[in-house]
Amino acid sequence: MNKQRNKDYRQRIDQALATPKLQDALHKFGDAYLMSRGNAFANYDFEAMRTEISAMKTGVRENHAVLLQQFIANAEAAGATVYLAKTAEDANNYIAELAKKKGAKLAVKSKSMASEETHLNVALEKAGTKALETDLGEYIIQLAGQRPSHMVMPAIHMFKEEVAELFSKETGKIEPAEIKHLVEVAREQLRQGYFDAEIGITGANIAVAETGGIALVTNEGNARLASTLPKTHIALVGIEKLVPTLDDATKVIRILPKNATGQPLTSYVTWIRGAVPCAGEEKELHIVLLDNGRSTLAESPHCQEALNCIRCGACANVCPVYQTVGGHVFGHIYIGAIGIILTAFFHGLENAAEIVRACIGCRSCVAICPSKIDLEEIILSLRETIGEEEGIGTGKDLVFRKVMRNRKLFHGLLRAASVMQKPVTKGERSIRHLPLFFSSLTEWRTLPAVADKPLRDVILQQPQQVEKPRYRVALFGGCANDFLYPELGLDLVTVMNALDVEVYYPQEQNCCGVPALYSGDKETAIELAKQNIDAMLEGKPDFVLTTCPTCTMALQRDFVEHLKDNPAWAAKAEQLAEITVDAAGFIVNQLDGADLFAKLASQEKVTYHDSCHLKRGAGVWQEPRQLIETAGHELVEMAHADRCCGFGGSYSLTSHPDISKQILKDKLNDIEASGASCVAMDCPGCMMQIRGGLEKQEMPVRAQHTIELLAEALKNS
Amino acid sequence: MGTEQQVEKFSLAARQIGAEVFQAESLSAAARYVAEKLTGNLLLPAFASGARAELKSALEKAGARVETDLSRETAAQAEGGITGVNFAMADTGTLVLESTDEAIRLATTLPEKQFALLDPEKILANSLEAVEPMRQLHLRDPRNYIAYVTGPSRTADIERVLTIGVHGPKELHILLVPKLSSDPLEM
Repeated sequence: MNKQRNKDYRQRIDQALATPKLQDALHKFGDAYLMSRGNAFANYDFEAMRTEISAMKTGVRENHAVLLQQFIANAEAAGATVYLAKTAEDANNYIAELAKKKGAKLAVKSKSMASEETHLNVALEKAGTKALETDLGEYIIQLAGQRPSHMVMPAIHMFKEEVAELFSKETGKIEPAEIKHLVEVAREQLRQGYFDAEIGITGANIAVAETGGIALVTNEGNARLASTLPKTHIALVGIEKLVPTLDDATKVIRILPKNATGQPLTSYVTWIRGAVPCAGEEKELHIVLLDNGRSTLAESPHCQEALNCIRCGACANVCPVYQTVGGHVFGHIYIGAIGIILTAFFHGLENAAEIVRACIGCRSCVAICPSKIDLEEIILSLRETIGEEEGIGTGKDLVFRKVMRNRKLFHGLLRAASVMQKPVTKGERSIRHLPLFFSSLTEWRTLPAVADKPLRDVILQQPQQVEKPRYRVALFGGCANDFLYPELGLDLVTVMNALDVEVYYPQEQNCCGVPALYSGDKETAIELAKQNIDAMLEGKPDFVLTTCPTCTMALQRDFVEHLKDNPAWAAKAEQLAEITVDAAGFIVNQLDGADLFAKLASQEKVTYHDSCHLKRGAGVWQEPRQLIETAGHELVEMAHADRCCGFGGSYSLTSHPDISKQILKDKLNDIEASGASCVAMDCPGCMMQIRGGLEKQEMPVRAQHTIELLAEALKNS
Repeated sequence: MGTEQQVEKFSLAARQIGAEVFQAESLSAAARYVAEKLTGNLLLPAFASGARAELKSALEKAGARVETDLSRETAAQAEGGITGVNFAMADTGTLVLESTDEAIRLATTLPEKQFALLDPEKILANSLEAVEPMRQLHLRDPRNYIAYVTGPSRTADIERVLTIGVHGPKELHILLVPKLSSDPLEM
């Protein structure tokens, strides 16, 4: 790891965390966004629309060379000059040369992320051409000498007072910090520029192969002026913006503004094909098609899907990490989840190395992506690449390679820890304070103590009372259920037995491998996958049950992915994936067993926290709610129920505890505001985080696994 | 095309995003509406349905100061601009203006007040239905500058507060005038 780079990055995090005003603004934006987005899609089928976009953009990737040629031929036939730029430098040189040839003193620009990507303004300045940003947000950050912190709303991190100060410097008089007034100032300041500029520069949201035209999706009207008044128009367009036909372009336009800002449609969509009339002559239109890493990305089997992106920026809007630290930390030029991936390919792995670890893996971006890109999976694969390039740190390396792969050693150490922790736990189940340099770990949440006896031991002593079992199921405990919360496993046995299901615990099972995978050590993850497949399939269970949704995803998805090209293992991995199911989903969907618990519980006000990997991984979120309500509890929904709690495994322990702490704080606020006395969830990781936070804050709310609530209800009856 | 329901849907969507929609019984009623909104010059570029309906004289009769000589200078000075519409989309309240003729662009981008005459017959359901006429426009002309216009110019770039009227028109007035033109390829 590069120490200086890491130090700078940590500093940026600290700075962002010390700006609560920014967090507040991004949180409010996140809420308002979801509401307007909901309205915008009210009469539309988002899932169907994004499935179409995904298929269309995948088709574009597969036929890219042909479509690109078709676009170029049609654009040229309409009088445009097309230049294919291999690199950012190549594109900048072409544009700067052109500006010189025109003797251009001024170029007016409408918003273009591609030009941010290439640092075009700097290249133009060097050539003697002043680049004037006319999009209001871009104008503000140009005056401030900053870079955009959001792809669609570049100045989202700034406040009206700061804008007023910048504008006052420009006009030479004091401009009051009233938004309407400031917008008027920008209109007046920039208007003459369109008339004076020799060149207008825009990006493009879409390039249509069928017509050779481009489409610009905008709100302010500046792109219309910049593409109308100057004699020369240069459009800088990433080669991934291609679509085959006008029908396809229309599909993009139908989904893009709705998903970007929650607008049914932007004020303007401008379709330009060829050299259109300009002041009695023909306009000179140059289309600069930018590659700059896109072809390399297209060839990366694990990452290529990222080219399906239509740049709506929604992945940032819903990202808890983005909402906590903003785009100047969680991004390079492109920000948010897609930004991590684009940075790696457009600006080099080096510039993505820190932010690739900043993703907490909650998959909220995956759920909202209009092109259905599995951003989390791509980020994990990049993390692996960086892990291979730079190493994952000697400590982690030792733990994963030497300890975790050796189950007996790993579990032996955990057992030893349960004894050695005694001076700290003083026999209690939660650790409230850790000594010395570990103290920061328990500053904002308690940590669970390692249990005296792990689940794998105590479960053997639990008598199973099932005379004629409907099913015989193997429990995959996962490290947390096994060593931190064995009582949860025992409760599961109680619940399953009541439903005539027999449970057994394969003793050879090991960690699911997710901690290694998330840290970029895929080799260990693969080794653990094999160990677990053998362990879990050996007793020929009807189903494999899990209480941890992250483990569920490992068994259902990751093992299959790791081993799909290995003929000795692929079928077995598929077989395990097939029979793996989370406990709540199993009770409702396979057993149809909710009614067994009807009205057994002594009623309590319960709110439900959706675990990221249960809702957005396994697609389970109604089932636990149904169980809780059927059992007789009053279910009250908290705000942002499916927002991450900030756990993320080693994310909260070692890599980004400060961000984790902030995200937890949001969750605790939502829980408190719900008025519930119990928060239920289906993930031991979330339990560790939320219970730890509640205990530390001494809030009178208990955090329980749904299975624990069901066992409680049974014991109650 | 152009059912009463469609017109209602269109008007609702257009109003929701800040456009004014006026159901004019006749061209002269529309001209009076326009003249009342203006004290300065009104840009009138040439377009087929306007010429056919003798829009210029209707506007002048209503008292508008009509400017038909469109240049960068006259456009920069004008208070309003008026054009026809090729067709519209009901679901988003969108107007489609074939603006390859630069005069159409000057009249619809620079002045603060934009006026658009729309024959209700030309309202399509949505952008998917618009693909076919869009394709026809591309087939007919060798070059195109086509604008989808949905409400007035807007921004939310300062503190995400919606503000109307940045670089483009601050007002968009849509005048529904029957029997102007039913051809989506014609403005």
